[in-house]
Amino acid sequence: MRELIKMVVVLTVLSAFSGGLLASLRNGTKDKIEYQQLKFVKGPAILDIFKGATNNPLLDRFKLKDGTVERSFFVGKFNGKTDTVAFESYGKGFGGDIGLMVGVNLDTNKIVGVGVTTLSETPGVGSRAKTDPSFVAQFKGRPLEETFKVKADGGQVDALSGATVTSRGVAAGLTDAGLIYKRLKPELEKKLKNFSTKAVKTKKGEKNG
Amino acid sequence: MAKSITQEFVKGLWEEIPPFRLVLGLCPTLAVTKTIQDGIGMGVATTFVLVCSNVLVSAMRNIIPSKVRIAAFIIIIATFVTVVELLMQAFTYPLFLSLGIFIPLIVVNCIVLGRAEAFASKNAIMHSLADGLGIGIGFTLALASLGAVREVFGSGTFWGAPVFGPSFHPFSFMIEAPGAFVCLGLMLCIMNLVGKK
Amino acid sequence: MFEQKKFTVSHAPFWHVGSSVSTRSYNIIFAALPAVLFGVFTYGIPAVGVIALSVSSAITWEIAFNKVAKRPPCIGDGNAAMIGLLLAMLLPATAPWWLVITGTFVAVIIGKQIYGGIGANPFNPVLVSLAILTLSWKNFLDFNEVLVNYDFSYPMAYPLASLKHFGVFAISNLKPAALLMGQQSGGIGAIFGLGLILGGIYLIIRGYIRWEISISFLAGVWITALLFNMADPAHYAGPVFHLVTGYTLIGAFFLATEDSSSPVNFIPMLIYGASAGVLTVLIRNIGAFADGVVFAILIANLINPLVDKIRPKALGKVI
Repeated sequence: MRELIKMVVVLTVLSAFSGGLLASLRNGTKDKIEYQQLKFVKGPAILDIFKGATNNPLLDRFKLKDGTVERSFFVGKFNGKTDTVAFESYGKGFGGDIGLMVGVNLDTNKIVGVGVTTLSETPGVGSRAKTDPSFVAQFKGRPLEETFKVKADGGQVDALSGATVTSRGVAAGLTDAGLIYKRLKPELEKKLKNFSTKAVKTKKGEKNG
Repeated sequence: MAKSITQEFVKGLWEEIPPFRLVLGLCPTLAVTKTIQDGIGMGVATTFVLVCSNVLVSAMRNIIPSKVRIAAFIIIIATFVTVVELLMQAFTYPLFLSLGIFIPLIVVNCIVLGRAEAFASKNAIMHSLADGLGIGIGFTLALASLGAVREVFGSGTFWGAPVFGPSFHPFSFMIEAPGAFVCLGLMLCIMNLVGKK
Repeated sequence: MFEQKKFTVSHAPFWHVGSSVSTRSYNIIFAALPAVLFGVFTYGIPAVGVIALSVSSAITWEIAFNKVAKRPPCIGDGNAAMIGLLLAMLLPATAPWWLVITGTFVAVIIGKQIYGGIGANPFNPVLVSLAILTLSWKNFLDFNEVLVNYDFSYPMAYPLASLKHFGVFAISNLKPAALLMGQQSGGIGAIFGLGLILGGIYLIIRGYIRWEISISFLAGVWITALLFNMADPAHYAGPVFHLVTGYTLIGAFFLATEDSSSPVNFIPMLIYGASAGVLTVLIRNIGAFADGVVFAILIANLINPLVDKIRPKALGKVI
């Protein structure tokens, strides 16, 4: 009986100690980890879109509720004007979802840049959507609100040769991004106004947002 | 147990060097030694877990009832592995990305549990510390040497810097899974040749 | 079921029949000569270079390993030379020197010596080596790419690659008889089908290889290719094409029959050869590689210990 109690007590204390340690460590590293993930997974695409921005778009970010989904938005500042946001949307590709980072200018509603964040397409065929910069460059300057389609389907997008499904996925992702943008535009404008008036890093405040 | 603390430390470097002599911990040895950086990163993470768990197990060896000792060891080891995982994500994210699933898998690395069960639960704290450190550094050395061989032949680089001229065509078999087995086998063979005298 | 050969064993003393590992190796080398010479005449000096380097480096690796492992030198049995020659026969004439040397290292050390030397290897050393080389340096073994500078009176596209990429239409003008006479691109010693068949028949008659394996391999290729061809002639080439292209003939007579990695009884030999043949066509028709002989025989090597269990019951043993 004594032994049984000892077993229970030792294991309980050990587990409690372990749980407490891990919980506090998790809290302590949470922000850092989120930032690292942004920097290395989505970071390259974001920084590519915001080439020439005067702020650090990875730090200036906020979250908005879109129905039941929460989306992250990254803010870019050009020539003193805070008028550009980037956000992520997804399109169905050949080997799963293709993640797209779409940067858009709120004044002109035009695409500033598109970058592919995650994809699992066939290496050397569909994967060129990410590795070949000339493919995503064609979207630059187009109005985001139009419906994107590859040329084979009667649209305006030059498909990657041999990777029509991937190109369709990218086009679908962009169309989806346009829909998200239309839904959230009023709120985005409100948020951006805050950013330009404060013009400081709102790291604390954004956490609740 | 007449061995001194130094002896306990040194034995992990050659006499009982884990993958080559004990032939333990082969899963990370084969999986993450594509480059020397990955090998060292994995080795350091394992060493940290090994030292911490050895010390804690040794300190608690008289408290833990023997019937639940394995469960208690696993809790201790899993705690430290999660600590390593979180720290790696926070500070060395690229390394975390390339090691991937093999960081959480340190929990089931038989070297760690093996040292806790076979050594730390029977020896004093300082001895256990030396043992954990020695075995850990031995493991790191083994992973680094395997990683170096595979990186040099498989991708023609050493620590990311090219070693051969541009006319070198990498022997890419070496950085694939079967290459890991062949390479490990050849290194074991060399170890036996050198050790046999 | 079948006529099991029965041996009558008399009491000692016995006579030595005169066969040994070295005569065996040299006979295989001799049988390979027609195909090799044809390759040399076709591709010229580079082919001589590849063959010479391959044979000599294989022998050198063998000596080196014998020294390191403190085993008695065994290059006299000619097995290393045979491995070097067979590997060179599979390579293109343009193979660079380091490719050949790495290939013989893998074949002799990893394919054979590590397992304990001759007779102990579970896989055909030459095929282990070629598989590893294919995985590492695909470009140097792509016959279309490396033989582009050769220009003969016949089409120089690698037949199996044409079939894979452009379909049956691309090979419709290739005549089986011309292919059999070596008018195709491919490995140095793998293109001259007639020479390989002659060598194979010589080896079968002298008893160095077993006809069961060769014939069942060819039958496996023939039947599977025929089935594919009947199902969809527009997509899959006919059986004769598969028999005379790629490594099929050298595989049937020189590779699948390697002694220590192939079975010894009648039914196991048929299963072994046929499964390698079936796999060959499966890989060629629906797999990722243009030629499937290498991987098919390696996989068949794997089932060798299993099928070897099919054997006559031991006399007087109660089960």
